[in-house]
Amino acid sequence: MSLLRIWTVTQKGFIHILRDKRTLMMMLSIPMLQLLLFGYAIDMNVDHVPTVIADQSHDAESRAYIESVEASSYFDVVGYVAGPDEMAAAIDRGDAHAGIFIPPDFAAQLKRGDAQVSFLVDGSDVLTAQSAYAMAGTLGQNYAGQVQLQKMEAMGFQIKANPIDARVRILYNPNMENIWFTIPGMCAMILQIQTIALTAASVVREREAGTIEQLLVTPIRPIELMIGKVIPNLILAMVNMLSILALGVFVFGVPFQGSFRLFFWLSLLYSFSGLGLGLLISTVSKNQNQAQQIIMAVMLVGLVLGGFLFPRDTMPQVLRIIGNIFPLTYFIPISRGIITKGVGLGMLWEQVAGLVLYVAVIMIAASRAFRQGLD
Amino acid sequence: MHKRFTRVSALIRKELIQILRDRGTLLMILGLPLLEMFLFAYAVNMTVDHIPTAVADLSMGQSGQTFLQAMEISEFFDLDIHVTSEAAVIEAIEDGEAMAGIVIPPDFEAAVERGSGQVLVLLDGSDSYTVQSGYRAATAIAQSQSLAVTAEKLTRSGASGMSLPLFTSTRVLYNPNMDGMTFMVPGVVGMLLQMLTISSTAMSVVREHELGIMEQILITPARSLDLIVGKLVPNVLLAIVDLLIVLGTGIFWFKVPFQGSFGLFALLSLTFIISGLGMGLLVSTFSKTQKEAQQMSSMLLMLSMLLTGLIYPRANMPAAVKFVGDLIPVTYYFRIIRGIMTKGVGMAFMWQDALVLLIYGVVVMTVAVKLFKKRLD
Repeated sequence: MSLLRIWTVTQKGFIHILRDKRTLMMMLSIPMLQLLLFGYAIDMNVDHVPTVIADQSHDAESRAYIESVEASSYFDVVGYVAGPDEMAAAIDRGDAHAGIFIPPDFAAQLKRGDAQVSFLVDGSDVLTAQSAYAMAGTLGQNYAGQVQLQKMEAMGFQIKANPIDARVRILYNPNMENIWFTIPGMCAMILQIQTIALTAASVVREREAGTIEQLLVTPIRPIELMIGKVIPNLILAMVNMLSILALGVFVFGVPFQGSFRLFFWLSLLYSFSGLGLGLLISTVSKNQNQAQQIIMAVMLVGLVLGGFLFPRDTMPQVLRIIGNIFPLTYFIPISRGIITKGVGLGMLWEQVAGLVLYVAVIMIAASRAFRQGLD
Repeated sequence: MHKRFTRVSALIRKELIQILRDRGTLLMILGLPLLEMFLFAYAVNMTVDHIPTAVADLSMGQSGQTFLQAMEISEFFDLDIHVTSEAAVIEAIEDGEAMAGIVIPPDFEAAVERGSGQVLVLLDGSDSYTVQSGYRAATAIAQSQSLAVTAEKLTRSGASGMSLPLFTSTRVLYNPNMDGMTFMVPGVVGMLLQMLTISSTAMSVVREHELGIMEQILITPARSLDLIVGKLVPNVLLAIVDLLIVLGTGIFWFKVPFQGSFGLFALLSLTFIISGLGMGLLVSTFSKTQKEAQQMSSMLLMLSMLLTGLIYPRANMPAAVKFVGDLIPVTYYFRIIRGIMTKGVGMAFMWQDALVLLIYGVVVMTVAVKLFKKRLD
């Protein structure tokens, strides 16, 4: 194997990349853009649900109840309507996603001990619906408890408010900062997408343009061509990922708890999985269009099953197994483990072993397919 | 006029043949939507339960036991690991063996009696879903336990069974079981339509440009407008076929309800398809290479998945982020399609979104056609 020949091909790759300034600009800026948007858009915590209120009681008690609803950050009162029908209409229109109906006799019913409040929740948006449903229950319970307490005190009983209080402490990310959750996942995602897409695209493009034949005439060996093609894309993808990471850490203040060196080497390892996949895809695609479609399919499936956007724990067994085909699935726990938890190789060895195996298998398969494809 | 029609139909035929010849891509285009739908439907589940939990009950008293039982019964927490100290609980979480931990202090029994019992719940903050679910579940359970304890005390003190004075009933509109598939299927339909219209138009244009076929076509008597129409019509047909496949699967396989008017749906979908095609043309005018077109399409796809209300609700997004989402046509289409399919509402409630789509389609198309023409000349 000649290093000189590899270096030449690598250089050629770099020149290609640098010459295409527009793509370069796009590729470096898009992930940053994505980060900004991801960081702020993905918020699993659904509160401040726009809510309309139909208060047909209009007394001090109903007002007190509404105040307690507003005081919680769960529901944001956006309007008052006349009754349940108008509530439903407001939700139909999309003006609100929830409605609260307080019947006419609220104060008296409360005193008697059988008051009823009805919540209406927009079921067309499942995330909001689930949250609103849970919050409605919690609010109701809370308020009921308070009223009961007041009654008790009025009767002369000395009862403390909350005999059982759950103090929740969240490890690693005490304030549940959204962007602390997203950065590790984004690093994994960007590295995967970039390595696969760039590699596949560059190889297929040359095949389409016919320049591969020209390369084959040179004394270069297939394996050297492969390595030379892979390196510029590797570096580009790593640069991309590291700039996102830097942005997250230095601009958004995401803490990096673990060893950066460990993270760096593992990212490098992980990149090879994407590069290998990219090469494999390039061997089975006859043109750019096909390659793009395959990449999109892989991306979509991998993203959904990988554990970044949705939790893997709740997926059916079958899907979890399929998820293991994607290298993303191994790297996300590694990324989270090092960046957010600050753990070391000791806790991550399972994922790392999986990744090593994956890279080995895929690189062998890819290089074999690549060589065959050239003949 | 007749000659023009012949030219255009010839171009349409050519495009159709090209599309059909590329069997690989065709399979992809038709199969991908189905794949995604199945995937989303089965994989997407926002609430995490059966969270592996480490427990350290240092009190060994009745109240502690009751509390732990309540946590277990809720099915949110699986009390798998029993240790003897707070430090051990934390270690279990660090190890990844548990995602949550419960520590009941030694004096819990007495504290509850006094009315100031405290339980420590630890959550693994590296996983947002677990944290959200766990936090909510833990506080809710603690609360209901509190009420149970209070009720018991009252009964002991002689007060007759004081039940809670307030009962809250919650009704979920349109989708009473909060079924995830009912939610995702309309979303997937919208997503795929957008992906399809934008990327296939952009790619086909750019590909011809790259391969130099453009020049050959320009030599023919076809006018640039004919070219555009010739490119768009087959893509529209493809999009419609895809739409029907996905929708059909959703309704007949996944039993997703279709409450509203299909005619209205068809009309508005057509409008959306046109706006998507316009965007595809725009992307193609700005991309010199296929790679660029692909990049742009991918970026749009990414943005669309997150900012348009496909999964994550838009109501709480910061203004800047919401604004970006407002620029993407599929945001409005999601509201329309969910409005028709899930809510069963009519034009009266959706005319604003429909109008936006119409204007968008017209504007984008006009701009795209103008730029495209300029480029060809």
